Amino acid sequence: MIESLFSHYTYVLVFVLLGIGIYMVIASKNLVKKLIGVNLFQTAIFLFFISMAYIDAEGASAPIVPKDGVPLEVMVASPLPQVIVLTAIVVGIALTAVGLALIIRIYAEYGTLREDTLREVRADE
Amino acid sequence: MSLFAYTLVAFILATAVATALFRDILSVIIVFGAYSLGMAILYTFLLAPDVAMTEAAIGAGVTTLLLLLTIARTTRPSTDRLSERIHVPAVVVVGAFVLLLCSVVLPEMYAVGGTETPVWSNLEVTQHYITETHHETGVKNAVTSVLAAYRGFDTFGEAVVVFAAGVSTLLVLKREVFA
Amino acid sequence: MSQSVDDTYTESQVIMTAVKIIAPFTLTYGLFMTFHGGDAPGGGFQGGTVVGVTVLMLAFAFGIEPTRRWLRNSFLVGIITGGVVLFGAIGLAMIALGGNFLEFAMLKEVFHIKAKWGLEAIEIGGISLIVTGTIISLFFTMAAGFSPERPSGTGGRNERGESAGAEVSDDD
Repeated sequence: MIESLFSHYTYVLVFVLLGIGIYMVIASKNLVKKLIGVNLFQTAIFLFFISMAYIDAEGASAPIVPKDGVPLEVMVASPLPQVIVLTAIVVGIALTAVGLALIIRIYAEYGTLREDTLREVRADE
Repeated sequence: MSLFAYTLVAFILATAVATALFRDILSVIIVFGAYSLGMAILYTFLLAPDVAMTEAAIGAGVTTLLLLLTIARTTRPSTDRLSERIHVPAVVVVGAFVLLLCSVVLPEMYAVGGTETPVWSNLEVTQHYITETHHETGVKNAVTSVLAAYRGFDTFGEAVVVFAAGVSTLLVLKREVFA
Repeated sequence: MSQSVDDTYTESQVIMTAVKIIAPFTLTYGLFMTFHGGDAPGGGFQGGTVVGVTVLMLAFAFGIEPTRRWLRNSFLVGIITGGVVLFGAIGLAMIALGGNFLEFAMLKEVFHIKAKWGLEAIEIGGISLIVTGTIISLFFTMAAGFSPERPSGTGGRNERGESAGAEVSDDD
């Protein structure tokens, strides 16, 4: 059990970060903090992909490939998960911006960013 | 598998916990920036420099700036307590979730950095990208070739999503920048 | 909260000097990454974000409103839309040459140029423009904040910040 914690250290980190992200979304009253929690959750998923692509071999390097390579002998990390994460990061910031725009809009409408106060204000209407 | 990686993991964990527990929203944003920077360094260690550069610019740079702008546009609740009150039911639920993942899912996974994993060793996808990239596309960076050539259609979709998100931000805030 | 865009800005000699020194290097680094995406780590997404962040850094140090006047909105909208259109056009051009969407091997068969150039065109002309433009315009939009319905035909671009602040404060 303890050895697997060490040999799977990035996956353990991923799971704990997923937990912290969900905790922030559930427990924080502030909407901005909730969105930071979503972002944290998202980076945990990115780390999951990147650690799947990683190889811990002799002379392993980033995916810059030579001209002639024999399969299974070129020791570079797998490019595919990295590409998926690369595009996901840029899409992620765009979606975060949409979320923040909604938060600014909510504040302009209701004058608060606290979830409980927001619920009361909406119940009064 | 090195002291460096473990130190980095400890740093990331510490900043993530601080992000969850700090009460002042400005402190949360700044600690989150440090967390993103730590994450970018971990990506470099995990042989993904392309992702690390993007994460350093976007996670630590743009996200922090946008969050700061948001609290400048809205409000920063004043507080005299340093940390948030811990929400016990949430901790129980989340703790159970993490324990479940660590005890059931973790033993089924390959060790970090193994070369026998299906992600790395399958001949049709990853090994094809690694060995044929130079012949088929003429670039050395496999990330670029997969991004723009092998999965170009996918990337086109992503570009349109980014474009659409920009437009919808303008719509939510009712700006007439696109007029 | 009745502050406009310029009220949140405080002039700091330290930050301005630091940004003046750093900005040329980050811009060069971003452009280098964009143009050398083929043979080294880098490419449209990475270089584009770094170029975008350079502009954000300038805006943060020298005030958002002056930067917004310097970098016109129509220019930003132009590069984002231009990037998407160019990406699609290159893809469709490969169909016109008799291949599939984004099949760069057609460049070699028809024009006898390396397939690499099609790929670089997508990276530099498509992705990096879209990413740079989106990041800068998201930042400017967020900085301007929310402005409720205004009567049409009033107010130039430069007055928006102030009007947004005033309108928001009415809602508090």
